[in-house]
Amino acid sequence: MIISLLVFLPLLGFSLTAFYHFSCSSRKKEPTVAVGGFLATGAMVASFCVSIVAWFKLRSAGFGDASIEESLFSWMKVGGLQVDFGFRFDRLSAVFTLVITGVGSLIHLYSIGYMENDGSARYFAYLNLFCFMMLNLVLGSSLPQVFLGWEGVGLASYLLIGFWSQEMGNVAAAQKAFIMNRIGDLGLLFAMFLGFKFAGTLDLAQLSAFAFRPDVATIFGLLIFLACTGKSAQIPLFTWLPDAMAGPTPVSALIHAATMVTSGIYLLGRLNPVIAQSPVVMSVIGAIGAATALMAAITACFQTDIKKVLAYSTISQLGFMFVACGVGAAETGVFHVMTHAFFKALLFLGAGSVIHALSGTQDIFKMGGLRRVLPWTFWTFTVGWAAILGLPPFSGFFSKDGILHETLVASHGNPVLFGILAFSAFLTAFYMTRLYVLVFTGDSRVSEEAKKHIHESPLVMVIPLVVLSIASLVGGWFGAPVRFEETHAAPAHGVSEAVIMVVSVGLALAGAYIAYRKYSSNVRMELSKDPFRIDEFYLSFFGNGVKKASSMVGRFLEDGLFQKMLQASGVAVDLGGNLFKTVQTGSAQGYLLMMVLALIGLVCGLIFGVPGYGNF
Amino acid sequence: MMTLEPWMMLVVSMVIFGIGLFGLLIRKNLLVMLMCVELMLNGVNLSFVAFSKIHHSLDGHLAVLFVMTVAAAESAVGLGLVIALFRTLRTVDSDQIQILRD
Repeated sequence: MIISLLVFLPLLGFSLTAFYHFSCSSRKKEPTVAVGGFLATGAMVASFCVSIVAWFKLRSAGFGDASIEESLFSWMKVGGLQVDFGFRFDRLSAVFTLVITGVGSLIHLYSIGYMENDGSARYFAYLNLFCFMMLNLVLGSSLPQVFLGWEGVGLASYLLIGFWSQEMGNVAAAQKAFIMNRIGDLGLLFAMFLGFKFAGTLDLAQLSAFAFRPDVATIFGLLIFLACTGKSAQIPLFTWLPDAMAGPTPVSALIHAATMVTSGIYLLGRLNPVIAQSPVVMSVIGAIGAATALMAAITACFQTDIKKVLAYSTISQLGFMFVACGVGAAETGVFHVMTHAFFKALLFLGAGSVIHALSGTQDIFKMGGLRRVLPWTFWTFTVGWAAILGLPPFSGFFSKDGILHETLVASHGNPVLFGILAFSAFLTAFYMTRLYVLVFTGDSRVSEEAKKHIHESPLVMVIPLVVLSIASLVGGWFGAPVRFEETHAAPAHGVSEAVIMVVSVGLALAGAYIAYRKYSSNVRMELSKDPFRIDEFYLSFFGNGVKKASSMVGRFLEDGLFQKMLQASGVAVDLGGNLFKTVQTGSAQGYLLMMVLALIGLVCGLIFGVPGYGNF
Repeated sequence: MMTLEPWMMLVVSMVIFGIGLFGLLIRKNLLVMLMCVELMLNGVNLSFVAFSKIHHSLDGHLAVLFVMTVAAAESAVGLGLVIALFRTLRTVDSDQIQILRD
């Protein structure tokens, strides 16, 4: 029951923390962050330890197709549908589990320091709930269980984005994330219906082994991909992710960078055999991924909020992963998920450390020169920066390079995709260096007010940064952790990896150099810009459309139809009342007469029968 | 010589009941209406006795005794009500007593 143990430990932590929170509230005591954080972090660390044990158990079973299966109970049994609630721990799940519990533990620990002033035990309960749901997502043995986790992480994400619910903006962002995800979830639901109709099962192993009809496989794949665009913030459903930065920074690191947003890649990897059946789906995934990578990278260059830059960077990196899935190299995508989880969590936590030090300032043009005052943050952030740029020997280099290479050699590879991704990588280097230079080097542009409280973060926040920077350094040295079958066709083009390596590192250095030249001295303030204005487009196109449609419905249905119907019912009652009022004369003898007549009628009916009914 | 057949008793009881019902429906004086109710009750009593004779059982007689007891109580209450009504409304004309409508 080792897998169940590691899944249910966070649930236990959630229950304990929530219980602590409520017992404190009922005794009119403030639930402290320290106790809640200790409970929640303890649960996560325990879960991580169990995951490592499970990993070694899986290794002794010889990886490959080996898996540890645990079926807990029969969840639903309706007609031909039989769904068990159980867990399947194989190599793909193992990678995600280790990332979730490992990075999750570190971020829990970090949160104790970060949330010390304005958090509560509630926050840690939500974090644990998120981890539990996420583990359900990646370990669930059937599609409905994945869906349970899928919705559960959405809920946790909603709760955490809107954690500081005193501000309307945060609540609106939470709602936006929730609603946009619903659109994608519809895809997953329909994919489930389709899977059951044609394959007759919702078990993931059986489903991915099933040979669908080509047209069904295409629709199924597209629906799955729609779900992934919602959760993993791809075109067209990405606009919620930048807004989700309204949540506390550790939440952004855990949910909106390292784990939840990569669940789309997990699903594509899990259903890879079905997805790979349809070339159309593969091309769509590749095209959307590349477009997202490029668009988000361009937008990131114009952002001034440190978290927004990282958010767009996350969208862009997710695009890279989707391209990897789309060209038929899902294992490289999963590899990038892992390394990205390390360095993006590191970058977010570093950004959190900066924000914490500056009492909440997020504008990178109001920072600068922080290298001297925040040495730990600076050095760990440097590692993260090098990793996302893809400089050797940092982890990002291996996975990003892998993806660039696969766009040329994989079975669905395409030089156009390579070009777009290479340019996106160049932009990545540009905007990350812009961020890095503006925040840490040059002269200080920090406001006098913030300068007074400036301080390096406490130890609980520094330790996760150091551990994550070590992981960001060595994370890529062992190659892709997962292998899928039959994705490796013979290289179509004779491009050697060395050439790609030189090109990508060259592009990264070029982007970094340009950004350095532009921003290292004579910094001019910039205003945040969104060159694509997708958000405004959605607002004017869908938002106003919905508003117009609603007012039309309001006018025609509400005023025109329902109002009239209600009035008609009133009028009918009024008329009926007037009609029957005449009967109520108040004269006892009149009533008596009616009674007698009715009695006579009844007796006649008894004796002679009623037409149409026969005798009583 | 003519014997008293049970059906004759039934006819008489029906006539008495009918007179009572008719009177109850058309007379406007509450006292007369009360008397009509008594008439109806007695008509029913007679039919009880007739059926008792037909079926050779004493059950009907038993019921008659009950009805007479209840009728006595009823007329006592009824007269009380009529007097109370007369005191408040100064009339015993049923057409002018329509407070049931309100």
